[in-house]
Amino acid sequence: MNSVGEACTELKRDYDQCFNRWFAEKFLKGESAGDPCGQLFKRYQLCVQKAIKEKDIPIEGLEFMGPRKGKTENSS
Amino acid sequence: HPWETVTTAAMQKYPNPMNPSVVGVDVLDRHVDPSGKLHSHRLLSTEWGIPSIVKSLIGTCRTKTYVQEHSVVDPVTKTMELKSSNISFTNLVSVDERLVYKPHPHEPDKTILTQEAIISVKGVSLSSYLEGLMANTISSNANKGREALEWVINRLNAEIEELAASARGTMRNSMAAAAFVEK
Repeated sequence: MNSVGEACTELKRDYDQCFNRWFAEKFLKGESAGDPCGQLFKRYQLCVQKAIKEKDIPIEGLEFMGPRKGKTENSS
Repeated sequence: HPWETVTTAAMQKYPNPMNPSVVGVDVLDRHVDPSGKLHSHRLLSTEWGIPSIVKSLIGTCRTKTYVQEHSVVDPVTKTMELKSSNISFTNLVSVDERLVYKPHPHEPDKTILTQEAIISVKGVSLSSYLEGLMANTISSNANKGREALEWVINRLNAEIEELAASARGTMRNSMAAAAFVEK
């Protein structure tokens, strides 16, 4: 499955593999502590955010979106 | 299928042959909340196979439509809830879908899916006709959704079988080698 940003597909696949394994083997069995996929996710996220901005996809209300069109700034 | 199997498959639902129009899935946000529930916010990109002449008129980058999906998985109560709504064409139509997967109350190896959709068409006089049409499509898609998960579950089982078969092969080889060395 591809990513919305063509350049992000590899990063997405690496993250997905990590997540799917953690989800089935840890999370569903009640061991949700620890996130082995954090780094992969961050890298993948940065790529996706860029692609979304470039393609002007109208996503609202998500924390990662920075200030848009002069509205109030993100707190982070 | 048991709830864990269905939930794992639902997380990896795309691609599948029953939903060929879904061409992209991205995770926008994901976190476990203080009560231990996993929240995921995803973006789905769909391509509806618009005729090429229309594409050349409106420009190819505008033929994708987008849906945003928020899911919550609670491993304690064994509930998975997905809510999705379109973010393209919101000035024309709103399709909000809600799906809930829970274990069957009497048969632990089965899962119950409850699915509902709210469709509203804005500012179009054919609204009740279009809403009816979309309601029919969505209810026949509900069956497709079940088939899609069945397909994903079979694929995941086949992958596990393959891994197990190659592991067995490797073990047999190492056991044979060990036996040889012992002699």
